Amino acid sequence: MRPHVAERPPIVELIGVSRAYGQRHAVDGIELALHPGELTLLVGPSGAGKTTLLKLINREIRPTAGEVWVAGIAAHRLKASHVADLRRRVGVVFQDYKLLPRLNAIENVAFGLQVGDLRISDAEARDRSLDALEAVGLGDRGGAFPDQLSGGQQQRVAIARAVVAQPPLLIADEPTGNLDQETAWEIMDLFEDIAASGTAVLVATHNVEIVTRLKRRVVTLVDGRLVRDQPAGQTGRMAWLASS
Amino acid sequence: MAGVVVTGRFPRRRLIQTVAANLVRLVFGSAARNWGRNIGSTAPALGSMTLLLLMSGLVGLTGFALHNLEVVQAREASLLHVYLRDDAADPDVVALWNRLSSDPRIARVTYVSKADALARAHTIPGLPELANASESNPFPASLDVQVKSLNDMGAIDAVVRNESVVDPLNPTSYDRGAYERIQAVLFGIAIAGLAFVGLLGFVAVTVTMNSIKAAILSRRDEITIMQLVGAPRWMVRGPFVVEGAITGTLAGLVAGGVTFGLAMSGIAAGSQSFTQFAPGVTTTVAAIAAAIVIGTGLGLGSGSSLLSVRRHMES
Repeated sequence: MRPHVAERPPIVELIGVSRAYGQRHAVDGIELALHPGELTLLVGPSGAGKTTLLKLINREIRPTAGEVWVAGIAAHRLKASHVADLRRRVGVVFQDYKLLPRLNAIENVAFGLQVGDLRISDAEARDRSLDALEAVGLGDRGGAFPDQLSGGQQQRVAIARAVVAQPPLLIADEPTGNLDQETAWEIMDLFEDIAASGTAVLVATHNVEIVTRLKRRVVTLVDGRLVRDQPAGQTGRMAWLASS
Repeated sequence: MAGVVVTGRFPRRRLIQTVAANLVRLVFGSAARNWGRNIGSTAPALGSMTLLLLMSGLVGLTGFALHNLEVVQAREASLLHVYLRDDAADPDVVALWNRLSSDPRIARVTYVSKADALARAHTIPGLPELANASESNPFPASLDVQVKSLNDMGAIDAVVRNESVVDPLNPTSYDRGAYERIQAVLFGIAIAGLAFVGLLGFVAVTVTMNSIKAAILSRRDEITIMQLVGAPRWMVRGPFVVEGAITGTLAGLVAGGVTFGLAMSGIAAGSQSFTQFAPGVTTTVAAIAAAIVIGTGLGLGSGSSLLSVRRHMES
């Protein structure tokens, strides 16, 4: 029988993590564990520290205190020369997609795959990229360039690029921020599918409807502090909205 | 802690070829493509580096020639020509030759007849005209005394200049301080040359670093994506370093070619005069100088790019 997500060892563990910029704490004393197969929504008002938390997990920045463990790697003490080892274990999706305009959809996905692993041949990269694009519903648009795709389709390509190497963790920073509600739901469905395949997914979002209707685990940050960690299946108050 | 990277489902065939092909395409191919795309912003770096390398090549060749000239001058300076009277008797000349040969401060004594002196004069720029202007041979016979130490030159000159067989009007070639003056001039030229090349080098490195900085800024998104998908640091930096290397190598090829061409032109145009003024500069030396210029271009281009990348690219 497949163990419940919380019974599996965490893929991400933050222990007393703080990050200060001068006197100001962007995040302060965060304790958090993310498990494989778990979709977690990270919410909070603007400036609450959501992006900082994602950057800490992806080792774009280091904590000023505490420990950040990602897929067995101590991100908090990881040298710059070894950051790539961690990044290969983390898929990242941004609000603005960050696709290369001169590459088509397949090439964008394959680029992400091959620069991370030189051992992957062009044929293999193409096949895997096509598989990933089919998984996000864009199997027939592989030859399209970003400016020929809608916002939702571009975000799907970005998701395909993030998961094509099958990382154990996917983080997304406001992935539906530029999309209409219908498209946003399609993207969230994708994240649910990805989580169902065993990947831990952490999504920072402002979208109240998604948070309330999805009934997934919700971690709330306010002023850099983790004020609420609501398990999946519950509907909590969106107190943070008052200050957003 | 859990977490493993799931490896690809495809068999890993021909691993080395695949890695090499990806390396060439993603690092070298990307660098060449971007170099061509950014030719406008690279042109100042290419120009200043070409100028620097050309000047370095020419200064280097000149320095080599000056070094050889100094060696010749040092050898000349320790060679004392004792000019003999035209009516000097052979036994007296032999007697002086014997006395000088037995002096422990002297390495060697050679007799140079008037005919030998005339022949030698024909190899020195300017002197053939002087020889042709006179009906008789104007060059005296001499004893060429190779002194072991430059410090003994004055003492030996004092011994021989009052000998009866020696020309009283122009007894010897001894010129106190001449060698030191030549050394001072050569040292000054060397310092000026190095300062000039240093200044040009600073300009070339600065311009190259700025052109790479511009390239980094124009490809910020690509760099960010590469970093976020787990590209190793060397792979993110590699294309920029290769771009710098391309600039440096092209500049080196142009400057090396011009250096070699100028040296060959000098050798071909006036071989005798050139040999006098730039001793030791041969076809082989010119080719080596050109190769050094090209290698320096490669090193300078990639080195300054690496500096720029380290400074301007976040890890």
